[in-house]
Amino acid sequence: MQPTKPRRNRMRGKHAPETQTESPEPKRTRAKRPAPRSPSPYQGAPLEQLRQWFASKGWTPYAFQEEAWAAYARGDSGLIHVPTGAGKTYAAYIGPLADVAERDQKGLQILYLTPLRAVSRDVEQALREPLLALDADLEVESRTGDTSSSVRQRQRERLPQVLITTPESLSLLLTQEQAAENFASLRAVIVDEWHELLASKRGTQVELALARLRHFAPGLRIWALSATLANLEEAARTVVGTDRKPTLVSAELQRPVDVETLLPAEMDTFPWSGHLGFTMLPRVAEWLDPTQSTLLFTNTRSQAERWFEGLRFLRPEWEHLLALHHGSIDREERERVEGGLKDGSLRLVVCTSSLDLGVDFGPVERVIQIGSPKGIGRTLQRAGRSAHRPGATCRILFVPTHALELVEMAAARDAIAGREVEPRTPLSKPLDVLAQHLVTCALGGGFTREALRDEVRTATSYASLTDEEFDWALTLVREGGPTLRAYPEFRRVVEVDCRFRVPDVRLARLHRLNIGTITSDASVQLRYWSGGNLGTVEESYVSRLKPGDTFLFAGRRLEFSRFKDMTAYVKPAKAKATQTPRWGGSRLPLSTSLASAMRRTLEAARQGDVTRDEIAAAWPILDAQARLSRIPGDGRCLAETCRTRDGHHLFLYPFEGRLVHEGLAALLALRLTRLQKATFSLSVNDYGLELLTPTPFPFDEALRPALFTRERLVEDILESVNLSELARRQFRDIARVAGLVMPGLPGARKSTRQVQASAALLYDVFVKYDPDNLLLRQARREVLEQQFEQGRLARTLERLGASPVEVVHVHRPSPLAFPLVVERISASVSNESLLDRVERLKERWSQADARPA
Amino acid sequence: MVPGRCQTRVADADVELLPERALHWPQAGVLAVADLHWGKTESFQQHGIPLPLGVLDDDLARLSSALTATGARRLLLVGDLVHSRQGLTRDVISRVNTWREAHASLEVVLIRGNHDRHVRTLPPIWRMEDREEVLDEGPFRFAHHPEPAAGRYVWAGHLHPMVRLTGGADRLRLPCFHLRPGVGVLPAFSAFTGGMDVRRGRKDRVYAVAGTAVVEV
Repeated sequence: MQPTKPRRNRMRGKHAPETQTESPEPKRTRAKRPAPRSPSPYQGAPLEQLRQWFASKGWTPYAFQEEAWAAYARGDSGLIHVPTGAGKTYAAYIGPLADVAERDQKGLQILYLTPLRAVSRDVEQALREPLLALDADLEVESRTGDTSSSVRQRQRERLPQVLITTPESLSLLLTQEQAAENFASLRAVIVDEWHELLASKRGTQVELALARLRHFAPGLRIWALSATLANLEEAARTVVGTDRKPTLVSAELQRPVDVETLLPAEMDTFPWSGHLGFTMLPRVAEWLDPTQSTLLFTNTRSQAERWFEGLRFLRPEWEHLLALHHGSIDREERERVEGGLKDGSLRLVVCTSSLDLGVDFGPVERVIQIGSPKGIGRTLQRAGRSAHRPGATCRILFVPTHALELVEMAAARDAIAGREVEPRTPLSKPLDVLAQHLVTCALGGGFTREALRDEVRTATSYASLTDEEFDWALTLVREGGPTLRAYPEFRRVVEVDCRFRVPDVRLARLHRLNIGTITSDASVQLRYWSGGNLGTVEESYVSRLKPGDTFLFAGRRLEFSRFKDMTAYVKPAKAKATQTPRWGGSRLPLSTSLASAMRRTLEAARQGDVTRDEIAAAWPILDAQARLSRIPGDGRCLAETCRTRDGHHLFLYPFEGRLVHEGLAALLALRLTRLQKATFSLSVNDYGLELLTPTPFPFDEALRPALFTRERLVEDILESVNLSELARRQFRDIARVAGLVMPGLPGARKSTRQVQASAALLYDVFVKYDPDNLLLRQARREVLEQQFEQGRLARTLERLGASPVEVVHVHRPSPLAFPLVVERISASVSNESLLDRVERLKERWSQADARPA
Repeated sequence: MVPGRCQTRVADADVELLPERALHWPQAGVLAVADLHWGKTESFQQHGIPLPLGVLDDDLARLSSALTATGARRLLLVGDLVHSRQGLTRDVISRVNTWREAHASLEVVLIRGNHDRHVRTLPPIWRMEDREEVLDEGPFRFAHHPEPAAGRYVWAGHLHPMVRLTGGADRLRLPCFHLRPGVGVLPAFSAFTGGMDVRRGRKDRVYAVAGTAVVEV
């Protein structure tokens, strides 16, 4: 292994060739296939030629790159783990490329999987560039949802040797009749950004697809690229499958991270809650400097819209330097922004996680995180966007939007210093993904039961799949369910000549439209009347708009005109926009690492430690909390009870993130209703939970360790899940993945109008008429696992049961309680009769009506 | 008064709103229901969506119980009887027929709705009188689409009205009867239907179907 000289020589995988001190000419060529080919200027075997090409760029391979190439040459599969921008693409790619050039054969050889739907041209270019060093005539092409139909058509007949694609497009390729022949020649798969896929159903979908590919090409080598995770070993095992032993290649190239928090000037006017707080905007505008390229990360798209609008208002002179980037904005506009970042014409970009990965735009000088950092791994990744020079310090500036985020930021700073990166845990055998995969395989040449079952079990997430579970999924796609009587008209997969296939062309087409595991509300195109796409918004948002309503989108003030054929037509608004679209979907919970760091930080504050700047700044709020109630401690759990005109409240602050709190709130509500008949409405945030009941409830007596017992935990959770909305909500995604809900695609719209039904309605039908349906069970299990977060809820209960509960009666909601009161959610748990509830609601109404009269 | 039902006066006639999601007009011996969507589950199944049967049997049983309880002589089906042509399978036809035979002396009238347009003729075995648009009777007009008519109070369907009840800690969403001046919208009869929240006008009356009772809210 040769020594590396990271400071002098550098090599970056996904980047376009950059300006090097050693090479005077900065090249920036557009992706182009070299035609006609000129012979390689280098001599020797392909790997030797590639080494010379490396040297010609002034690069010396890093130790981890050499290690990865050697491991590939040995025939290993595994995972390469290095920080962003350190050259991991070439670590994974050069080995297979040399191998493929050596053999010089036709057909697909290397598959490069990326989670990004809009594959960056940079990936394509980075994979094409080393071809210049080789004598073999290799083709590099992309295939994604954006690939033109003529290219698709050509690829249907003949795939390039190197193909870049997404998990969804790979599954689509697997639905082709000749899939087995297409993939038989495959030598290597490279899975980029595996950490992004790993813990999701997209990751599971990739696992199943890889199992299929290993079956088609038994010698296949699989290499994943990943950022830092707490569970790298598991990540590696998951990607290579159960029939291979993974090799882990890591590079200790950690860069120092410098975290700073922008403190509010005065706390009096600083809000207690609400993630859309704007108080810091003028200070941020002051701090920004267009000579320093800066990314401003926000946590939601609407927050990004509002900050962009706010900055534009404060600094009109930055108009042409400032841009907005988020996932709903039209692709062309996003590419324009990415291009602007690259060539330096755009200096300040407000963005969401849309710029977390993939897109490479060269070094950015500064990174700002607006609002909660949510997790340590994520923050490190965002910080890594700054100062892409190896060894150089990454800098990130935290901007709080409300007072309690100051505490989060203090905690995040400590956790980052300790590199307390979170694990990402793969899912366990989701049957909806399996059901979809079965239809995919039935289309792609068909399958037999035993062979496919054994193949699926080589996917690590399905290693423990029982015969019953596999057969159940097979029954689901063949007959609808085990009770044939209940599904007389259903058919999708049919056994023909001992192989399972999909003979119905219409159903095949629907499946291809429906493939994938990314679920979102039906989205609607946003267009100007005069023509021109702006992007997408959710149908549910558009359905609430009235003509004439104004809103902010892609930094523009728009007036809604009409909604027709899944398109919302708008025109530029003259008036000030009154609202920002809200996109549903994932609100990230506080991560385990950050949550526990936060408890430690609060404990320190409780002991009077105000040495951290953030805590000193937040002190007025913490002090008010201490005076009105207590500051929550690490070793005990704070509970507050309170009476307001809304009813009787119980607030509890476990600081475990909103998902755990959702599960916990439902569980506690259920256990409390056993003590006394009541209806509770639940409210949760990252810090705690609220139970509210209109009738008096003896919370003080109820809050005993027995309430937190782990006995009958699963049963109780399941029961509360049945009672609450959680399972029904979870079912939405499952129904979509398993093909129970037709996609809201514009093309599919007309033909499937008769079979549109909300997943909630389907859920009710299943609960009533096929209560043993495994998809229902999966919904419950997913709720359990996600609320548990692999035992997180159980551990929380253990903590709550063991630590004394500190019950404080407060006269009005404390600073910690306030955000919970504001953000009440819809879930409720009740064991009263429907009629009782209606009567009481009526009573409240008549009282309310009587009052103003 | 039968418990659970709600009596009210509309256009100088007494009517009852039933928790079975039906309108009863005792004086005329009429029971009216809207949006039955027979064969909806089967339509889903034929599109490769594995949805279990059961809704139709329960819906028919509920219809029978409303007919028996009221002793109605005529049944008005106010549109969207059949979900789609594909859903009208032999099995659906025969199950409905079994129900029809149990109410052999009942007079059944269909007032067609938008879903029914795709089904040109109903199975004759069901013995239903088929009306294209509207049925006028006494002070009332029965029509699928809730459009006002001069001189008559219109009973309609189509909208699948739902009402949201919220207050302090609790919230519910229930099917409802929405009685506007001039037009009364019936709840969708089928249990397998979504719905639209009602926009309540000042003079409107809204009756929620809360399990086994109808409650004015």
